Amino acid sequence: MRSFSHKTPALLVKIILLGALNAFTFWAVPILLSHKTWFFAAYFVISTILIDYVFLNSKRIAGKYIVPGVILLLLFQVYPALFTGYIAFTNYSTGHFLDKESAIEVMVSNSYELVNDDAIYSMQIAKDRLSGEIALIIRDKDGSFLAAKKSGTSKIPTSAITPGSDGKVSAVEGFKLLSDAELMSIIEQFNDFYVPAGGNQFFRVADFNAVEKVQPVLAYDKAKDQITNISTGVTYRPDKNGSMVSADGEEIEPGWTTTVGWRNFTKVATDQRYRGPMGLVLAWTFSYAALVVLSTFFFGLVLALVLNHPRLKLRRVYRSLLIVPYAMPSVLSLLVWAGMFNEEFGVINRMLHTSIPWLSDQWMAKVAVLIVQLWAGTPYMFLISTGAIQALPSEIVEAAAVDGASPQKVFWNIKLPLVLMTLTPLLIASYAYNFSNFGAIYLLTGGGPTIISSGGIAGHTDILISYTYKLAFMSGKGNDYGLASAVSFFNFLLVASISIYSFRKSRTMENMI
Amino acid sequence: MTRKVVLVQQKKMTFGKWLKTMSWRHLVAFITIAFALFPLFWMASASFDPLGIVSSQKLIPDHPGLDNFRTLFNDPDHPYLIWFRNSIVISGVNAILQMFIGATAAYALSRFRFKGRKTTLMTILIIQMFPQLLAATSIFLMLAELGKSIPFLALGNSIALIIVFAGGALGINAWMLKGFYDTIPSEIDESAKIDGASHSQIYFRIILPLARPVLAVIVLLSFIGTMNEFLLTSVILGGKQNSLTLAVGMQQYIDGQYKQHWGPFTAGALIASVPVVILFMFLQKYVVSGLTAGSTKG
Repeated sequence: MRSFSHKTPALLVKIILLGALNAFTFWAVPILLSHKTWFFAAYFVISTILIDYVFLNSKRIAGKYIVPGVILLLLFQVYPALFTGYIAFTNYSTGHFLDKESAIEVMVSNSYELVNDDAIYSMQIAKDRLSGEIALIIRDKDGSFLAAKKSGTSKIPTSAITPGSDGKVSAVEGFKLLSDAELMSIIEQFNDFYVPAGGNQFFRVADFNAVEKVQPVLAYDKAKDQITNISTGVTYRPDKNGSMVSADGEEIEPGWTTTVGWRNFTKVATDQRYRGPMGLVLAWTFSYAALVVLSTFFFGLVLALVLNHPRLKLRRVYRSLLIVPYAMPSVLSLLVWAGMFNEEFGVINRMLHTSIPWLSDQWMAKVAVLIVQLWAGTPYMFLISTGAIQALPSEIVEAAAVDGASPQKVFWNIKLPLVLMTLTPLLIASYAYNFSNFGAIYLLTGGGPTIISSGGIAGHTDILISYTYKLAFMSGKGNDYGLASAVSFFNFLLVASISIYSFRKSRTMENMI
Repeated sequence: MTRKVVLVQQKKMTFGKWLKTMSWRHLVAFITIAFALFPLFWMASASFDPLGIVSSQKLIPDHPGLDNFRTLFNDPDHPYLIWFRNSIVISGVNAILQMFIGATAAYALSRFRFKGRKTTLMTILIIQMFPQLLAATSIFLMLAELGKSIPFLALGNSIALIIVFAGGALGINAWMLKGFYDTIPSEIDESAKIDGASHSQIYFRIILPLARPVLAVIVLLSFIGTMNEFLLTSVILGGKQNSLTLAVGMQQYIDGQYKQHWGPFTAGALIASVPVVILFMFLQKYVVSGLTAGSTKG
């Protein structure tokens, strides 16, 4: 008889974990809010309240087991999925990372220019003796002096100045002039040191001895939602792509993130740079996954039939050795295969005494991918086929034999259909898996050889997922997350259709819920 | 009894009959095994070939030595041992977390009848169709945003990677484990309940111990799965050499450098593969039963 009494340690663990969670939320939420990360702040607060409620309420038993997992699932799987759907309809990409407000701020602040050609003033850097603030002691064009702090400028009476030798001042009342050594230690502070100088003009530190009087050339008019270049008079208006554009089509960097409707999708279907490659990639994705499943299943089943003879000696040893490819870490085995297929010095060409361009010819690269997947995938098919064959109800097979059916007939008409029926869900799952098996492609061929019309992004062995990865993270012209998400979303639709079809077909659902 | 019968039958087989029914089976097995093991052999042979040159490598090196291993361990630009440690830690923590989250949720789904249970099951199933790796882009952007506020959820941090994987745990394991729990007779829990056991005691002291073999398989498969994960790991951990896992580090090490790094690379691949393969061999029986569980149930 077990005793079910000691509750104290469990209670202690519960209190510690809940305490840690609440402490984390109290710490994280203000920081999230200060970064305007509203969604995550709200999510953390709601999740914490929910968990507290569930764990402090003795009636919510099921919730205790399932809520924590669901919270993680929603945040790291559902939200990214939905977010992918959203990004697919935006222009989120290099040059369009900011929201509109910040982008306009950056445009304006990037456009500072000298007010006029000689708007350079000699200057010395000092510290306010009272407040410790940094102050720029600027000699104005008329010979008077200004103290410029980040908050603004003020005149310094001539009486407070002790002139030095080389046109510099040697002391200022109320301020401590800083030596070069002192300046070097605070040098970073001057990267972004602007002092308002009246109107929309600013003093900007040029070096340790000079400031420039600058003003932005671009001015943003909020009411008209347009930017005007003050010196040329050109106006820029927002276009549909999240950029400020002049009538001549001149763009100001950077743009901002905005929704662009179906443009990412239509781009894939109509833009020359994507349409051709996309068609090739799509065709290869479908046929690659199908060929892999068919070939591995065929060989796996044949092997299972051949080796599943009750009187075959060494059967277990054979089985153990055959599944080694399945046990080996796939990333490493793929990289080893890539070395073996190497055209110049790979073992395969050397053994065959050939110089087959395994990885640089589009057809040979496809063959190489399929050979490697045959190697990697057959053990799995062998295992599940063996399992299915051994699970065949022996009565049916024996009954058929008693009725006088030949072994061939028993195999083709009874065994094979039964095996296929049990394995269909696994085969469809395997198809869906191969459909997005990134590593199988990326680690072996890198997707190559390149499809020339794709601008170097897509390759002949790229499947949708590896194409997505390249669009998002590796294209030379910057990363197009919007387009990548559109392709990803499309990939999802395909995989989901396959899976739903499979569940319909195999009807495994009803009796499992 | 049965063994005796088999022995009698085996004695009866003549050499002629063996040649006809068995010999070709052995032949097929030999050929396939040769194909299956060749890459492993080639990798092992390269790792002991001190020349470390891919173009002159022979199946059995003329002067085997450990030079490649020394090179591998002493390359400051490619800290193999640190990658190895990272892989073990990340995969280990993740395997246990994934198992625990899945096992816990599956208990509720199998044993309690609560509002929204069917919806949860269906939702999990549908969500599973959108694997995390398809959302790599948005996970990347999401962590870039979160990392500004919460340092341990920033890109390049392995805790962020582990938590992201933990988010996928429910989708992967809950269904499989629920299926297993359903096979444990509920009379067991009920009699424990009569003895005064609380729900958590039933879970931790009865259900979990009974599910130990399945949980072991899930831990093993998640461990290997995480070791092998490439896409999300490379997106999240990025280019910081010291935070990489073996999968990403070794890929960067060998990518485009087959000529220079082949020897040390194979040495590293050998060290990383052998323990996994051996572990797999030991747990073979359980893994196989886990794989076929799905098919025999439908």
